[in-house]
Amino acid sequence: MSLLLDFIIKGGFLLDALGVIGLGLVGMAAVRLANRYRSWGGSLIASGALMLLLGRIWTIAKQQLLTPDMQMSIGENWNTIFSIVPMALMTMGLAGVVWGLWGHEQWLREER
Amino acid sequence: MLSNGSMTFAPPVPLLAASTPALRPVFLIVMGAFLLLTAWRMTRGTHGWTPRIILTGASLLAFGYSVLTPLYQAGIILPMSQIGTVGTNPDAIILWQAAKIISMNAGWLMFGLGMALHAGLFETVKSTAPVQAPHTSPRTSPVHEPVA
Repeated sequence: MSLLLDFIIKGGFLLDALGVIGLGLVGMAAVRLANRYRSWGGSLIASGALMLLLGRIWTIAKQQLLTPDMQMSIGENWNTIFSIVPMALMTMGLAGVVWGLWGHEQWLREER
Repeated sequence: MLSNGSMTFAPPVPLLAASTPALRPVFLIVMGAFLLLTAWRMTRGTHGWTPRIILTGASLLAFGYSVLTPLYQAGIILPMSQIGTVGTNPDAIILWQAAKIISMNAGWLMFGLGMALHAGLFETVKSTAPVQAPHTSPRTSPVHEPVA
C-alpha cells in the first residue's frame, strides 16, 4: 500500500502531464479537422480543449498564488471569482468538447 | 442603488449555473454518457486501431466524469484531504484517488491520441503544386538590379 501511496504522491504530476498532453493532442487534432476538412465541430472541440487546459492551469496556479495573506488582501469578491472560474471553465470546456464531437459525428454522417 | 458597496457580490448567471453544486454532477453525468454515446456512434462500422483507441479513451472519461466525480461530490468517496480523520479508511481513499486520476488523465491521453490519428495529425499533406527550380539566382533578379 505504501508503494501505491508513493506512486500517487510522486506520480500525480506525471499523470497530470499525460492528461495535459492528451488535451493538447485533442486541441491540435481538432484544429486540423476544422482546417483541412472544414468540420465545424473541430473548432468547437478546439475551444473546449483550450478551456479545459485553462481550467487546469488556473487550479494549479490557485494553489500557488492564493495564500491566506493574498486572500485577506484581495477581498471576498475576488475570492468568489477565483474559486468559481476554474469550475466554470472545466464544465464549459467539457461541454464544448462533447458538443463539438457530436457536430463532427453529424458532419461525418453527411459526408459518407 | 449605485453606492451600496456592502451589497454581496453576485457572479453572472452562466458562471453561477455552471458551478452550482446541485447542478454540476447531473451535468457531468449527462456529458460523460453523451461523450461515450457520440464516440460509439462515430466509430460504429469502422475497423482498425483508431476507433479502438478513441473508444477506450471515451469510456475511461465517461467512467471518470459520470461515475467517479458525482460520487466525490456526493461525499460517498472522500477526498485525499480527509485522510487521517477518524472513521475513514485510508486504503479506500487512496485507491479511489488512484482510480480517479488514472481514469481522467489516461482517458484524455487515449482520446487525444485517437483524435490525432483520426484527424491525420501525424501525416504530411503532399502539395499538388509542381516543384520547379528557380530560373534566376537571387542576385540577378530584377528587383535588385541597379536602376541606372
